[in-house]
Amino acid sequence: MEADNANCWFDQNKGDMHVVCGTQSPQELVNWMPEVLSNSSFQSRRFFLHPAYTVGYGSKDATIFPYYGLIAALYADGKPVRLANDRFEQFQATMKRHPFTMKNRLAVDRETGKFQVFKQDLTANGGGRANFSNSVAFVGATAAQSIYYMPNSDLTATAIYSRMPEAGSFRGYGTLQTMSATELMVDEIAGQLNMDPIDLRLRNVFKSGMKNTQGAIPAGHLRNEEILHKARNHSIWTERETRKQAYETAHPEERYGVGFACVQKDFGHGAESAFSEVRLTPEGRIEVRNTGAEMGTGYSTGQAAVVAAWLGRAADQVRTAEMEWDDMQMYETTSPYFISQEEQNKSIKDPRWTPLLLQASSASNSAYYFSFPTLEAARIIFRHGLWPAAQEFWQRGIGGGQSAPYVVREENARWEAGHLTARGMEPLSLEFLAKRAHEMGLITGVISHAFNRWEWSRADYEINGRSENLPLDGLAVQYGIGASEAQKALMTSKRGYHLLTRKNPYIPPTQRNNAGVTYYSGCGTLVELAVHTGTGKVSVLNHHTFLECGNTLVEQLVSGQIQGGIAMGIGHALYEEMPLYEDGPGNGTWNINRYHVPRASEVAVWQQTSEILPPLSRTDPPKGIAEVVMIPIVGAIGNGIAHAIGHHFRSLPITPDKIREVL
Amino acid sequence: MTTEQSKAAVIPTRPLKVTINGEAQPIEDIPEELMMLDYLHEYRNLTGTRFGCGRGMCRACTVIVDKPDGSSEEVRTCITGAHYFDGKTIRTVEGHAQRDEEGHIDALSTVQQQFLEHFSFQCSYCAPGFVNAATVLVERLQRKPIARSQLEGTISEALESHICRCTGYVRYFEAVRDAVLKTPGTTKEAS
Repeated sequence: MEADNANCWFDQNKGDMHVVCGTQSPQELVNWMPEVLSNSSFQSRRFFLHPAYTVGYGSKDATIFPYYGLIAALYADGKPVRLANDRFEQFQATMKRHPFTMKNRLAVDRETGKFQVFKQDLTANGGGRANFSNSVAFVGATAAQSIYYMPNSDLTATAIYSRMPEAGSFRGYGTLQTMSATELMVDEIAGQLNMDPIDLRLRNVFKSGMKNTQGAIPAGHLRNEEILHKARNHSIWTERETRKQAYETAHPEERYGVGFACVQKDFGHGAESAFSEVRLTPEGRIEVRNTGAEMGTGYSTGQAAVVAAWLGRAADQVRTAEMEWDDMQMYETTSPYFISQEEQNKSIKDPRWTPLLLQASSASNSAYYFSFPTLEAARIIFRHGLWPAAQEFWQRGIGGGQSAPYVVREENARWEAGHLTARGMEPLSLEFLAKRAHEMGLITGVISHAFNRWEWSRADYEINGRSENLPLDGLAVQYGIGASEAQKALMTSKRGYHLLTRKNPYIPPTQRNNAGVTYYSGCGTLVELAVHTGTGKVSVLNHHTFLECGNTLVEQLVSGQIQGGIAMGIGHALYEEMPLYEDGPGNGTWNINRYHVPRASEVAVWQQTSEILPPLSRTDPPKGIAEVVMIPIVGAIGNGIAHAIGHHFRSLPITPDKIREVL
Repeated sequence: MTTEQSKAAVIPTRPLKVTINGEAQPIEDIPEELMMLDYLHEYRNLTGTRFGCGRGMCRACTVIVDKPDGSSEEVRTCITGAHYFDGKTIRTVEGHAQRDEEGHIDALSTVQQQFLEHFSFQCSYCAPGFVNAATVLVERLQRKPIARSQLEGTISEALESHICRCTGYVRYFEAVRDAVLKTPGTTKEAS
């Protein structure tokens, strides 16, 4: 809801530029705003960015708006400038979702129901300024297969300019458009083959180890088949014909329908990176500092929770959108997407080089990618701080103390009620261990940097005389207050860290860029709806969603994303539409009276349910889910309408006008 | 004519007397056409009330007007002039929590606490409007309890006009249900 805004002040006397604004991509502003300033005739010397808590969905990622504030401040005679859109201006000027036009063809073996050849030709309308248009089109194409194995595919994606207002990387990043189309198409084909739509899906479902349409093998076990079986056995599906009969008898003016769709959405940009700092104070206070921005998704809560795996409880303090990481002395040179293998091989020799310093908060990347260096940092503190401190205590006394009669290994370590124990050892509180780790000069602070190109970079680091291969491309450690003089001499960075030098680095080859996607979360939704035959109005009566997301960091935040994503998906399927050109939002007369955002009564607020698949084990990674959750409801609604009235719509939203025309 | 006189001639003003969050505000000359939202933001530095649509449709700008008879109602401040509130007592989102003498928050209101415990809001832009609407509802039910079986429908009716882009409403509604149920005297057994 927060419109684009920027608050900027150019202190002419000091040459300081201060910028306060909501942004998903503070790293971009930190890089580019000083460059803008340095090329101006104004004498700017220092740049201060204060990224604020905001909301995005893509609209605040790589947006031009903050730059308007920056420029305005330069010409404001030293006065602070606040620039903010009102709602009309926001409709007029902010980035929109790319409208897609798609032509799909799918060859299916009539006997087996197996998909043979999938062909898609899509056009993404980027409006008047390219903002991720190429990659939105590309990602849309990579997702078009949805949850199906396509033995042969021919995908063409084109991004175009037009006189439409600018389009950007809105929630779903092109996959909402393509997977919804595929899900509608599969139901229509099932009808033509006289097959149950879920059975047809099961015959073609993409399984673990198969290649996606780019030829890459996705990470881990794919569980869409499990979701399909759950959906097929759910009462909404099994009772759909009897419920239809009962509902239509009770409401003769309405037609009841049940629809289902299932998708798998990648998470991440294909080039991900983040810094994270985890510190443990002598009092046992856990402080986390990292690069992701809080946009209402609960990022800071998730980051606080993630360290509990190694430190026994959630962090006390989390600072987000932090952009100062000088301690690491790292730098990037060119786009990680376009760098040649030859150049990468050359650059990698410098231990401070990384393919990408920082990434924006988008593409559902917080739960997995931004948590990753935080987890690694916490793990290092555990292994080189808390665990040796605990061992030292358990080994106290004659004959090796309480641990001697047992074999106590690091893998036996467990946090129970905030205390560390292992194989029957006396539980020790975090506060005690933190104090001891500090007194012993063990590692109590870590800054880590990780890079991922559909797999993680790795390197060897010498930590306390021991070489470890870690999935990090930059690492600095801090020793406790009892550190030796030799250790203290190493902690020379601004924040008092010992910067380690990586050895034997492995950076995922540039060929990995062609994988398109390797990390997926699966999601399916069943919906019950009713179509009023007189007005064409669609009422969503109920829905149930199945989500596979590995281990949740905070389950309430995940279900909140499901609920919010579904509401947005309902809007996409049924309500949200604007003319692209002259009568559209660019004319400045649009507000939410004309652009209908779903209300509570339109999302089955009291009826809806969802379930998160239990992880395969406690070691499953947390997966990004903020986008995938809004997608299957779209196809499910279209398929539900087809069940209700017997017509398969091929354009969204499915408005009452379109339905009345069919009826 | 001085500059100040010139401004006064261009923008007619009137004194405004209003009580906000229990405190009588300084009586100031306020432009006659100023919206209450701008008064709260620019004159009182109460920025918790949000500008959403500017046309009274999203309800992010909702505040509570406390009436002399003890009842309360929601009013949208983006479309209501500041002078409508002359002589009135209002509550904004800043006024719900209990504070100590230094102004630090001691305890959240029941509604606020439930919103937190239910993870109700995401970006929080609509949250002030929901806090105020839910508070008005809880207070109304304290005065006029309803049957428990009517509760979900009553919440739906009370909050329907409030728009949220992030949450899908579920956690707001569930929190309000718990806030009502935790407030004695708001529901009764069906007769």
